[in-house]
Amino acid sequence: MNNSIKLLGFFLLVSYGLTAQNVKFGKVSKEELLETKYEKDTTASALVLYRNLSLNYNYSQNTGFDVVTNVRERIKIYNKEGFRYATIRERLYKASSEEESISGLKAYSYNIENNEIVKSKLKGSDVFKENVSKYYKEEKFTMPNVKEGTVIEYEYQIHSPFAYSIDEIFLQYDIPIKKQEIRIATPEYFSFKPNMKGYLLVIPKQSRKSDKIIFKSKTRNNNVTSYDYNTQDYIVDVVEYNMNNVPALKEEPFVNNMNNYRSSVNYELQYVQFPRQTMETYTTTWESVVKKIYESDNFGGQLKLTGYFKKPLVEIIKNASSLEEKLGVIFFHVQGHMNWNKYYGKYADLGVKKAYKEKTGSVADINLMLVAMLREVGIDANPVLVSTRSHGVPMFPTNEGFNYVIAAAKIGDNVILMDASNKYTKPNLLATRALNWFGRLVKKDGTSYAISTFPKKLSREICMMQLNLNENGDLEGKMRKTYTDYNAYVFRNKNGSTSEDDYLENLENENNGMEISNYEIENKAFIGKPIMEKFDVSIESQADVIGDKIYFSPLFFNTKKENPFKLEERNYPIDFTFPWQEKYTVNITIPDGYKVESIPESIKLGLEDNIGKFVYNIVAKGNQLQIVVDLKVNSAIIPAQNYLGIKEFYKKVIEKETEKVVLSKI
Amino acid sequence: MRLFFIICLALCLQNAKAQDFHYSYNSIDATLIENADAVVRLDEMFVEIPAVDQIIVKNKRVVTVLNKKGDKHIHARAWYNEGRKVKNIQAIIYNAEGVEIDKVKEKDFKDVSAVSGGTLYSDSRVKYMEYTPTQYPYTVVFTSEIMSKNTGFVPSWYFIDGYRVSVEKSVFRVTYDGSVGILNKEYNFNEKIINKSKEGDLSYVAENLKAIKYERLSPNSRNFFPRLMVAPKNFNYEGYIGNTGDWRTIGKWMYDELLENRVELSESTKKKVKKMVSGVDDVKEKVKIIYKYVQDNTRYISVQEGIGGIQPIKAIDVDRVKYGDCKGLTNYTKALLQVADINANYTRVYASRNNQQDIDKNFPTFLGQTNHVILNVPIENEEDVWLECTSQIMPFNFLGDFTDDRNVFVITPEGGKIIKTPAYINEDNYKKTEAVYTVNERGDISGDIIITTKGIQYDDRFYLEEKKEEDIIKQYKDYWKGINNLKLNKHEFSNDRDDVVFTEKVKLEATSYGTLSGDRLLFVVNAFNKNTSVPDRYRNRKLPFEIQRGYLDEDEFLVRIPENYTIESFPESKDIETNYGKYSISLELQEGKKSILYKRSLLIKKGMYPKEAYADYRDFRKQVARAENSKIVLVKAK
Repeated sequence: MNNSIKLLGFFLLVSYGLTAQNVKFGKVSKEELLETKYEKDTTASALVLYRNLSLNYNYSQNTGFDVVTNVRERIKIYNKEGFRYATIRERLYKASSEEESISGLKAYSYNIENNEIVKSKLKGSDVFKENVSKYYKEEKFTMPNVKEGTVIEYEYQIHSPFAYSIDEIFLQYDIPIKKQEIRIATPEYFSFKPNMKGYLLVIPKQSRKSDKIIFKSKTRNNNVTSYDYNTQDYIVDVVEYNMNNVPALKEEPFVNNMNNYRSSVNYELQYVQFPRQTMETYTTTWESVVKKIYESDNFGGQLKLTGYFKKPLVEIIKNASSLEEKLGVIFFHVQGHMNWNKYYGKYADLGVKKAYKEKTGSVADINLMLVAMLREVGIDANPVLVSTRSHGVPMFPTNEGFNYVIAAAKIGDNVILMDASNKYTKPNLLATRALNWFGRLVKKDGTSYAISTFPKKLSREICMMQLNLNENGDLEGKMRKTYTDYNAYVFRNKNGSTSEDDYLENLENENNGMEISNYEIENKAFIGKPIMEKFDVSIESQADVIGDKIYFSPLFFNTKKENPFKLEERNYPIDFTFPWQEKYTVNITIPDGYKVESIPESIKLGLEDNIGKFVYNIVAKGNQLQIVVDLKVNSAIIPAQNYLGIKEFYKKVIEKETEKVVLSKI
Repeated sequence: MRLFFIICLALCLQNAKAQDFHYSYNSIDATLIENADAVVRLDEMFVEIPAVDQIIVKNKRVVTVLNKKGDKHIHARAWYNEGRKVKNIQAIIYNAEGVEIDKVKEKDFKDVSAVSGGTLYSDSRVKYMEYTPTQYPYTVVFTSEIMSKNTGFVPSWYFIDGYRVSVEKSVFRVTYDGSVGILNKEYNFNEKIINKSKEGDLSYVAENLKAIKYERLSPNSRNFFPRLMVAPKNFNYEGYIGNTGDWRTIGKWMYDELLENRVELSESTKKKVKKMVSGVDDVKEKVKIIYKYVQDNTRYISVQEGIGGIQPIKAIDVDRVKYGDCKGLTNYTKALLQVADINANYTRVYASRNNQQDIDKNFPTFLGQTNHVILNVPIENEEDVWLECTSQIMPFNFLGDFTDDRNVFVITPEGGKIIKTPAYINEDNYKKTEAVYTVNERGDISGDIIITTKGIQYDDRFYLEEKKEEDIIKQYKDYWKGINNLKLNKHEFSNDRDDVVFTEKVKLEATSYGTLSGDRLLFVVNAFNKNTSVPDRYRNRKLPFEIQRGYLDEDEFLVRIPENYTIESFPESKDIETNYGKYSISLELQEGKKSILYKRSLLIKKGMYPKEAYADYRDFRKQVARAENSKIVLVKAK
């Protein structure tokens, strides 16, 4: 995990209000209303003027502890883009018998009219409740009388019976926050560990105070009822986050999930201990998180079931002798037999047995079944917990950190990672959604260790062309393309269920005016092998014929023309998903009656830390030109500090690829 | 004996699973598989309207899915809300041989809120089947039943309901009581659709409809897919009884039942409105002032509940919260205008930016043909004013491509009528790009550009001034994505909302725009308004094509070249004129051959054309694309 911390490494400074000023509800000032932009970020469409979040545990004799979160926000709306911050949605969780609820909603909009502050109240009838799914409902409202310049303010309490968990608290929004005071008070019986993430440097302030619970008990004796009171004193741990001028989190392209970089604090329950009761421990380290998951019937329990596949397995491995062969046939059997039902999750959904029978299941059903089968034939196989790209990077040990599971097998010294939930994966080639930093490999005894899921092998796209150029600038010739590993995976996922006609029509239309004939493809469905395409191509006007000269970029329609990196700077790492290589070898016969007048210079370019490499080699000989262009990016993730380097690298690549060969009439 | 027993058992097991050979893959006619991702084996809808306030819709849909892309044609889902109940929904899944492999019961359907992104709240929900196919092809038999008291809206019947899907059999039947009555109209029918109707029983059957492949620039599928529109003569909507038959009557009904008492306002608001327009004589000017007030003080928030599906929220409530949906905001504007003694008409329209869609003037129906509301303001001795009340930024009396050029249903106190909204055609949609730019000896460029837009091209660009700085920069980098290493130095907008003209002034630079080859420097002369799109080629086009929007672009670029270079060659002037539009470029040396004046114009004309003309149109766009890439070659002075 160290590596990820390093990559995410620098901190933005925010200032900390040490003394909490009293911002009273309803005391909106004229200055706040007259402000037209936020000096510290003039592009902000809205600004949180003040935010207060206070979380407390309340005790009731009937129901025990519940969590009450008081939410209060005062927001300035600068322009129409900011109107959406006037709509508030609060998601409330439901379990079978208990659910979260909201009370005490007060909300007002403030405007200036004729130099007077006018206040409009949100009516109860303008608040909507909706059952979104089995697991949660939503309460929502939009503020009345909102226009450019309006200040809105609202306050409500969320009551949660789920005392064992505290939702992740975001410390940063998509709009800036001028001042926020966040206070989390937990009784000593619940021991939480706050985990911070994001780019903001946050300094919490800790304190303790005491509180007490009064138990009332009733006794009836000869028609006389008497009450007894018992008092239980306890300590409350208070953590405060008081921050001023929190910058907005701004989107950047080529980031797989912006929330990875949003500052937040996540309260992870470590143990619960009530007086005179034994301590119940919860997750604290990666080891204990994993152990807990492993001990579940829906995880570890699934690995122990073997009856359902005993019979078919004999048939599956009957021609396989070595462990490698067995691994291969079992993997492809599970992949072929099972159909992914689009559910992620680390726990089995239908259960492996039912899933196998119905040929459909979640990621966990499929991959846990794979591990069990591999173990059955004597392979050292284990499940690996991972977090998908869309789920974010698990930076702290939490149960929710993982949402996916893959399989790992060790044969000799080789570790092979597998994901049978996609039809186009293979051993050591996972579905791209699972390529996200580190996973945790769980051994039979429940111990675990981190394992990188980043692919190291270059996925290649190799293209060879034999082309004849005529004096009108039209081209005709043969092309052969090879796609390996992830490039083949991407190709198959994209085109797997497209008819050849449609695919070719698309390909022709992507390369304006191209006509393709004699198309052949090999290994389209043969997952283990690279895909090879071979076809004849003709395409008009690929060179500029101007006067008695012909100009063209020798990669023609394969020339890179656009730099994907357009922004001047960047804060977050660049995510290419997998390392890759793109190589072109082009032989060109020039038209009769012309000679080569000039060719671009051959060059080699490297990126620092061996992240990337570009080779451009061109040779002219008689009426023949040969060009080899080789572009590589050796790492799936590139740290933000290399951004300017890679932007410049791409710029040079494009300049070189667009450079012209000049032919002239003899 | 034992052997016999085993065979017998096997047969029994086989029989225990329902098998319907009719649904096996092999029984599909080969012509229905061509170009199809799914084959609708049977789509059967029975609509019963036994009384004016009772409608029952029973649907059975059997789809054989041939591949992954065909999954979306199953349509195993049912929408419902307070007044619309769903029952008896079920799906049975068969494999390619027609053997039952799975069954999805009502309780296993997912039940979720059917709210779209822009809606704060809606009571509409949907139950849908979630199923992971384990093999292709497979067949789903989906049945559902829907009941409602609101009979105003009977869905149109599409005998073929999408591209890449063929139909074995489609059956549509409406039985109705004499007191209800029914109106119907056939569109794009062919000989495969057979009318079997009799009194009180509308009935159509179609068989063996082949799949249609989507082709670029195809006209709106409504205009060539066979379809049947149906409307009950007498209907009920939330207790209000109305009747269709002519636009006047429906409009009168809507006005009386749904609109009339929704325009009341508080005294203080009335006073405010009167003050706003006091001293103004011109009616149009008054409308403009009130429209601006609405734009500055309200915003669009959609809330759909019960009768709110068609009735606007009261003006007084919109006035209190200052938000509403299209109905609420339009009615609110109408109410404000009324205070200033200006009559305005609530108007229903089918809004869509692409696939512009008309109300059929000759088939008056309740709501079936519209999805949006705008405001029509008649002005004496002048053309009507049209207002889009959901936008805070649209210029006064400007509809844009969302609602222009189509039949709309105008509802007046006297009744309803159909009017066509103003159109923005061809030259109306205008863009002028003027630039002066300099190329230096490294191929870098820098220049000043002025872009002026009108009509729908205004509609495409004027929102820029509302964007954040960083988004504006992104937009320009995308607009000129052919120019690498683009750096914007300055931008300035002016939005003339009265004449609907948007002007952008941009200062920019970019390194390595031109490419160096030895002593030569090449660059594409049309740096700032290149149109190189060529529609897709089809080996064998089947459908006619439509250019939905015409436009005119005119450009004038003055290009300055570096001191130590001379012009070796530059593109020839060109004029192309076709049925679809006109293109011309001309180049002229100036300033002692140190600069070139490039003039360009491209006119694309709106129109509907037969499929035979497609290759010709494509050829025109190819010629344009080629000319757009033509380069100037400079050579270093020796």
